[in-house]
Amino acid sequence: MIIRGVFSMSIINRLKTLFKGENKNVEDIKTDVSNTSDDVEVTSSKVVNDDVVSGTKTTVPRENTVKEEPKDDKKDLTLSDIETEDEEVVEELPEIKENPLEEKVEKLHEIKEKVKETIEIIEEDVKQKVEEKSNKDTKGDNMTLLTDKELLNDSNRDPDFTAEFIDAGIETVKHCFQCGTCSGSCPSGRRTPYKVRQIVRKCLLGLKEEVIADDALWMCTTCYTCQERCLRSVKIVEIIKKARNIAAHAGYMAKPHKMTGVFVMNTGHGVPINDATKALRAKIGLAEIPPTTHAYPEALEEVQKICKLTGFDELIGYDESTGGLKE
Amino acid sequence: MEIAYFLGCIMNNRYPGVEKATRKLFEALDIELKDMEGASCCPAPGVFGSFDEETWATIAARNLTIAEDMGADIMTECNGCFGSLFECNHMLKEDEDKKAKINANLAEVGREFKGTTNVKHFAQILRDDVGFEKLASLIEKPLDLNVAVHYGCHFLKPTDEIGIEDNAENPSILDDLVEITGAKSVDYKDKMMCCGAGGGLRSRDLDVTTSFTKEKLDHMTEAGVDAIVNVCPFCHLQFDQGQVEVNEKYGTDFALPVFHLAQLYGLAMGLSPEELTFDAQRIDATPALAKALGENAK
Repeated sequence: MIIRGVFSMSIINRLKTLFKGENKNVEDIKTDVSNTSDDVEVTSSKVVNDDVVSGTKTTVPRENTVKEEPKDDKKDLTLSDIETEDEEVVEELPEIKENPLEEKVEKLHEIKEKVKETIEIIEEDVKQKVEEKSNKDTKGDNMTLLTDKELLNDSNRDPDFTAEFIDAGIETVKHCFQCGTCSGSCPSGRRTPYKVRQIVRKCLLGLKEEVIADDALWMCTTCYTCQERCLRSVKIVEIIKKARNIAAHAGYMAKPHKMTGVFVMNTGHGVPINDATKALRAKIGLAEIPPTTHAYPEALEEVQKICKLTGFDELIGYDESTGGLKE
Repeated sequence: MEIAYFLGCIMNNRYPGVEKATRKLFEALDIELKDMEGASCCPAPGVFGSFDEETWATIAARNLTIAEDMGADIMTECNGCFGSLFECNHMLKEDEDKKAKINANLAEVGREFKGTTNVKHFAQILRDDVGFEKLASLIEKPLDLNVAVHYGCHFLKPTDEIGIEDNAENPSILDDLVEITGAKSVDYKDKMMCCGAGGGLRSRDLDVTTSFTKEKLDHMTEAGVDAIVNVCPFCHLQFDQGQVEVNEKYGTDFALPVFHLAQLYGLAMGLSPEELTFDAQRIDATPALAKALGENAK
């Protein structure tokens, strides 16, 4: 499987260089190819050549590819197979109608030459890969990205971490079957390393440090798109917020976030009033100071008392004497 | 009818025109907005909720008790405040253990959460309690304006808790409310996408937030709208202040003025742009206001 994947990639990449401007097709085909069964070596060269030379933008459907090349053929892979395919391709070429005849013929020769060159390169690849394949037992494992070092075992897991989610009432963390709808829906995942599906899995596995030490945990805007679309009704945003709580208590808290806490401790508001807004309020006939903690010092004291009671002041490192952060 | 009016932070402390418009609108609707004296920050769901749930819930519950003491339901016109207050109210009503824990904290400041108030969003009250017909009767002059409606995240979602009747993937409540004023809600790509400011992201990583906003502004501009309409002062700030940041970072020249739904109603009811504090916003609203009021034709 791994050999096959690399092999078809190499062909595709060479062909990609040869026939520029077909990237989209090649990408599509790549997906098709990597998903098809064992006879990819043969089918891939056929598919790419057909598609590229005839200049169509249609991706060859996977079913066709598989049907055309029965599984048994895989061991008979030879150069003649590929050459046959390419002769068919060349025959199709005169269908191109845009160019004058002479130019066309010239171009066809050029293409034929290039195709031959490519075939030679492919031939090399085929030999090499077939050899490698025959040595699969000894050499094949070298192709994998998985190493023993990356395998997880119970010593990597912190069951208490997982228990924190369950205890907080987020039992649905256990319901995730890793479909990836969340990551596929996530606007933050489109632009940052935030991978919500992975985080949910890591929370369930108990990979505490991997979750809480990762800055990407803070890239969620809590937009709920993932949670709304979750097929298993996993409370994903709750999981993220809980993981952040644990991270914050473990000391992973950004200074601007601590400062928002400082504003609330000093004024009762994350975004306190300023002189410009006071003037604006007065100008349009509103109370200059809104009837909030801004206008009621005893109300502000309640908020401050709550923050001390829950240890929030310690959590953010609030310095009462300066009204700022301790550090 | 009386409503406990929760101000929050950004609206009253940055965009007071929204508060002005809301007070005028509810005066005209004969609904009394009662001040929640001594209310604080909600506190922000994605920020405080991300740091320490207990602190978040206790401060939110403290705000809820102010409305309980007034014997009124709460109205907020900020998605963030709505998210925090609704979620906390819902959680403490459902979970006796958490209620007991939070009440132990509140007892220290002489308060108790009883679970006797409901938290409602401004737009929800306009549609469900006031009704389209009554709203339509307040419109003095229909606005000529094409707008991109931005729903924001903590308004209809999470749907299993919020229960505002609509479809969170393809909603209509705000579009319907916008169109009563005469303005036209224009559809645009990825309409339900987040503005990028929430969850503490704006303060943590402005570049990421700005890239969200850029994407939204691209799609809104492609749709050819005159303005953005929202129901959340934080989204409002992100589209107003954030638009300046997008233009600085990407060298773009986006110029879409930002209206809170209350400001749109204020305008349609005849309030002046100054009363709605459009002159204090970062993105110049003059061309859109002139078009809306039909002054271009003159």
